[in-house]
Amino acid sequence: MSNRVTAMTRRVSLTARSGRSLAGPRPGPLQYLLLIGLAVLFVYPIWWAISSSLKPPAEIIRDPLSFSPGSATLGNYRAMFHDVPIGTGFLNTVLVVAVKGAMTMFFCPLAGYAFAKYRFPGRNLLFGVLMLTLMLPTLVLIIPLLLEMSELGWVNTYQALILPGSIDAFSIFWMRQTIAAVPDELLDAGRVDGAGEFGIFVRIVMPVIRPGLAALGVLTAMNIYNDFVWPVVAVNDERHQTLQVVLSTLAQNVTGNRIGADFASVWGELLAAGSIAMLPVLALFVLLQRHFINGILAGSVKG
Amino acid sequence: MTPATLTPVQPERTAPAPPGSRFRRRGPFLTPYVFVAPFYVVFAAFGLYPLLYALQLSFTNWKGAGEARFIGLDNYTYLLTSEEFWSSLGNSAVMWLLIVPVQIVGGLAAAVLLANARLRLRGMFRVAFIAPFVTPLVAMAQVWIVAFDKDYGLVNHLLGLVGLPHIDWLASTAWAKPTLALLFLWKTTGFAIIILLAGLQAVPADVYEAAALDGASRQRQFWSLTLPLVRRSIAFLVVVQTLAVFQMFAEPFVVTKGGPYGSTTTGGLYLYNHITASDLGTGAANSFLLVLLVFALSLLSVRLLRSRDE
Repeated sequence: MSNRVTAMTRRVSLTARSGRSLAGPRPGPLQYLLLIGLAVLFVYPIWWAISSSLKPPAEIIRDPLSFSPGSATLGNYRAMFHDVPIGTGFLNTVLVVAVKGAMTMFFCPLAGYAFAKYRFPGRNLLFGVLMLTLMLPTLVLIIPLLLEMSELGWVNTYQALILPGSIDAFSIFWMRQTIAAVPDELLDAGRVDGAGEFGIFVRIVMPVIRPGLAALGVLTAMNIYNDFVWPVVAVNDERHQTLQVVLSTLAQNVTGNRIGADFASVWGELLAAGSIAMLPVLALFVLLQRHFINGILAGSVKG
Repeated sequence: MTPATLTPVQPERTAPAPPGSRFRRRGPFLTPYVFVAPFYVVFAAFGLYPLLYALQLSFTNWKGAGEARFIGLDNYTYLLTSEEFWSSLGNSAVMWLLIVPVQIVGGLAAAVLLANARLRLRGMFRVAFIAPFVTPLVAMAQVWIVAFDKDYGLVNHLLGLVGLPHIDWLASTAWAKPTLALLFLWKTTGFAIIILLAGLQAVPADVYEAAALDGASRQRQFWSLTLPLVRRSIAFLVVVQTLAVFQMFAEPFVVTKGGPYGSTTTGGLYLYNHITASDLGTGAANSFLLVLLVFALSLLSVRLLRSRDE
């Protein structure tokens, strides 16, 4: 009897191997408590920012913990839209995410396809160079890139925001791994049907690697949306500021002076701006979490 | 007639190719080069060129205008003997100590709890842990300013509720660094947990079963099985986070402006300050020194985490 039970548990744990391997003892209340505590620490600041942004400014200062849905107000948002060019920031960010993201999503799989499925003289050398560029920190390029932009007359332009880093080595590496798993027979079949090299890429490779593309897409969109260091250096006029740059100038006003103007209302605007900037990525994350997690894990494979 | 005499060569060349790779030779010779070319064009224009430019710049006294004069290694010797440069590295080193060990140990503990096959709500926990990682850093940095305010902030309010004294989080040299480290930890520990969890789950269950059969305790299993098997994940995280901490820029830039008294001027922010001061030659030299340091640190951590294999 007990033999059968152990045999069964053994079979269960073997089938569960692929996903969850550590079949330990049943987790006790302490473990749940620890995990729940940690989860609260991680989520509460987000909740606190969003709920506080809906409070009247005086209330934010009087009692940071209070929140009553009844007295929720959009006053902070109204004031923020009035004082801060956040709409322009949003539009600029959308434009950069769309164009730069589209470039990544097209050129990186294309190069990954060539590295995965073609044999050509110099391939290993070219790929080695590509991997070497992965080790180059963005920081070292900031100053000379800014100078290059000013030589080109590109400071405060969209191309300055979009082109540098638009085709990145890591995404190519990732797509190469993904495309290597596509069976050659599938590509051969396309060739027999008379598809050209580019046609095979567009009509066979791209549809087959859709899950990988989705992960690449959400991660790329998130990274470009949240990008700050380069945009804050490359752009200093209001017309081209991305959302993150607009937010950072708002923060500068806050730390500047706290006596004089009613700084409670500035806090309200700050929280409103932060919340509104968070919402799109958080919504995307909740809807597409599987792709996000695949994307994050793809990063660790190279290690 | 002529085509017939020319063609026989080609089938012979394609025939001996290994199975599964026949088709690779059919396309025009240039095709793969065309496919990979865009990356190298963009990299040459916005990677290699600025890199060489920066190298040249680092040997000049250029201030963003006027004439650039070659001054040899002066920028480098200036930085290496300047107190500000070393203190920016010192600040980054303290940040590293406050962040990386805490994150690895804490992240590993959380990942071990999450990896338990009988845990319920794992999906929910995972979402909660990664949510900070996807939020925009600048937005959360702003939230930090408000939440850690000395007089009206959330954190001091909470401390007051349990009878603890208020802390001047952002404007005291003692607390400004931990406050920024906390932001960094809050934002990226979920990422660490996910990486470590994946590492743990790659360990086959039978390894643990065999160990349990041999009478190894849970603690023993952790030290002699789990830890060695996730060492690669840990090494990856240490390298990635070391790079990130020494380049840390947005956190101090938005929250503390590098203050109070320069105590949060990290390596990354100090570099940026050269731009604001138009001291571009020195700034370029500073970037190379920083990159060298980061490389050395990454190599060192990979070494340290690998050496126990032997």
